[in-house]
Amino acid sequence: MKNSIKVERAKKNITQAHLAELVKVSRQTINAIELGKYNLSTILALKIAHVFNQSVQDIFELEESDWES
Amino acid sequence: MKTNYLFPNRFKKIGWLLFIPGIILGIIFLMSQADIDFLNVKVFSIAEQPIFGKTVFFSITENNILDEIIGLLLIIGAILIAFSKEKSEDEFISKIRLESLVWATYINYAILIITIIFIYDMIFFWVLVFNMFTVLIFFIIRFNWALYKSKNQIRDEE
Repeated sequence: MKNSIKVERAKKNITQAHLAELVKVSRQTINAIELGKYNLSTILALKIAHVFNQSVQDIFELEESDWES
Repeated sequence: MKTNYLFPNRFKKIGWLLFIPGIILGIIFLMSQADIDFLNVKVFSIAEQPIFGKTVFFSITENNILDEIIGLLLIIGAILIAFSKEKSEDEFISKIRLESLVWATYINYAILIITIIFIYDMIFFWVLVFNMFTVLIFFIIRFNWALYKSKNQIRDEE
């Protein structure tokens, strides 16, 4: 799954730490999501989209490899 | 994140306060094997079997309770260290927690399998004694190492 959190953060000028605070997770979690190392929960995806005033699909996108099990 | 199977964060400190004396007493116990006199007390026993003796159920028996104290300090301490919430316990940390627990279980039983095949008699008994604590200790090491690594990654990003 690809995501554009880093881009959205840059647009709004929000640091990883600040975003983490807004959605009530640790900084490591935001970092791991941005690096594609962690597939977040639906609830957290909705919260992050909410912070950026966008829909989940605008920020998170399926990749080919997600269809392989 | 709401989890009802973890202790509050402050219990972690209590865990260390129990675990460290447990380790120190444990090392002293292993090296000296000495009985401390005032710890010889009468205890209630559900079952006991002396060497060359018959099994006795539900009795009062005399026992040196140093090893009991050490065992309880180590187990309760390690449980509190392992299963108290992190300051910011969230879904990613829960995933690290789960992975570390599975990993620790594999390592613990891998050692036990090797022990079953290659180790005999009294040394086998001693490995079993250590095995009571190692699954928790392996978990604590692996979990904190993984947390440390994920925190380090943030520093790399900056």
